[in-house]
Amino acid sequence: MNVHAPMEAAPRPIPTSADETLEMAQADTMLSPRFYTTDYAAMDRIDVSAVRREWDTLIADMVADPNRKHFHKTDEFEGVIDKLPPALKAEFIDFLVSSLTSEFSGCILYAEIAKRVKNPDVKQLFKLLSRDESRHAGFINHTLKDAKIGVDLGFLTKTKKYTYFKPKYIFYAVYLSEKIGYARYIAIYRHLERNPENRFHPIFKWFQEWCNDEFRHGEAFALLLRSEPGLLQGGNKLWIRFFLLSVYATMYVRDHMRPEFHKALGVDPTDYDYRVFRICSEISKQVFPLTLDIDAPEFRAGMESMRIANEGICAAKAQGGLAGWAKAQGWKLRAGFAFARMYLLPVEENAIPETSRLQPAW
Amino acid sequence: MSGSLAFWRHVEDVGCLIEINHTPERFGAHVHLDGDPVIAPGDRVCVYGDPIDVVPGHDMQVRRRARIERATAIGRAWTRLRGQFEVAELFEVSFTTGKLQ
Repeated sequence: MNVHAPMEAAPRPIPTSADETLEMAQADTMLSPRFYTTDYAAMDRIDVSAVRREWDTLIADMVADPNRKHFHKTDEFEGVIDKLPPALKAEFIDFLVSSLTSEFSGCILYAEIAKRVKNPDVKQLFKLLSRDESRHAGFINHTLKDAKIGVDLGFLTKTKKYTYFKPKYIFYAVYLSEKIGYARYIAIYRHLERNPENRFHPIFKWFQEWCNDEFRHGEAFALLLRSEPGLLQGGNKLWIRFFLLSVYATMYVRDHMRPEFHKALGVDPTDYDYRVFRICSEISKQVFPLTLDIDAPEFRAGMESMRIANEGICAAKAQGGLAGWAKAQGWKLRAGFAFARMYLLPVEENAIPETSRLQPAW
Repeated sequence: MSGSLAFWRHVEDVGCLIEINHTPERFGAHVHLDGDPVIAPGDRVCVYGDPIDVVPGHDMQVRRRARIERATAIGRAWTRLRGQFEVAELFEVSFTTGKLQ
């Protein structure tokens, strides 16, 4: 899964010398997950009987665990990261660490929900989700070890404060996170099928089965949302718009900060991101009553404004001092304004289909 | 006891089991508090003792004591309110934040 940004990895400077590269490679990545609590009584009240048939089929798929033996790295992984050019290496490691932290956070969040809820359907689902996330995290962690990067679990003995989210926020955010995760991985996988010379690390060959896990997870959240139709109507449509836009904007802004990674893959980040938006919007029609008009010129202009504002914030922070702080505030205001303008653009209505189950056919 | 006092934090100590999976097949870490006490918004949990040395390639379990610091009623309300503005952290779509250089 791609739950969240609950963990932060320390930012890594791009090394400029062999020594710095070595130093970076030997550094341990500190994982600092966030801890959440939610309304477990509300989770217990979830009733999937309206979607029982689809639910049981999906759970049976997950119990069968088709990817049980898939995530084992091979000898072709050895030493590949070390041979990458420094700037690409730094961005690729950032990609792996970011993926690791989100899988690891998902594992913790899902396990915590599975432990606390009494509702047998919800308990079983979250146990299965946690199993998959833990497996993905293990695979990435093993891959990082090739580059001699260990993971520091010092957070275990530090004070952990519990943040609270309503279940519905978890459902909207995690549904989208899983589905956009699928769209991101499958878009890269398909691109590299056509352009194998750009496959600079073998891990990309694992993306298809990997994202099929993400796809299944998303299916489960689609069913949870459909089991409570109120979550897809009325005022909640405003939340759906908010989540769609924030997940797209976050991805757009962050992808554009990793030019070397995209150059090595042979993709233009803007083209790639719109391909991902398109796949994700198409999938989300299974459950959301609306999609964003991603082709509207104002939408594209808004995304660019967000990207420029983010670059401004980074530059202002690098400058530091009072002047840097003031500039950063100015850029944040512009980013907020661009987000609000995009949020107010007309959306495309979507009639939710009778049943939601989709196959990962992209 | 949940933190119902407005200004005073309630602190309690419990035993806990820390379970770490650090193998290529599974990677995760969980703290199981004895008796499964309810952890409410804004509460803090801290495991006592030195950092835990993890041996890569193994699953391990460690018993420790942990301190639960209950949030005050005000802290609890504040955490719930902040949760409304922090929902975006629930999704991770690509890279870490910030520039690399």
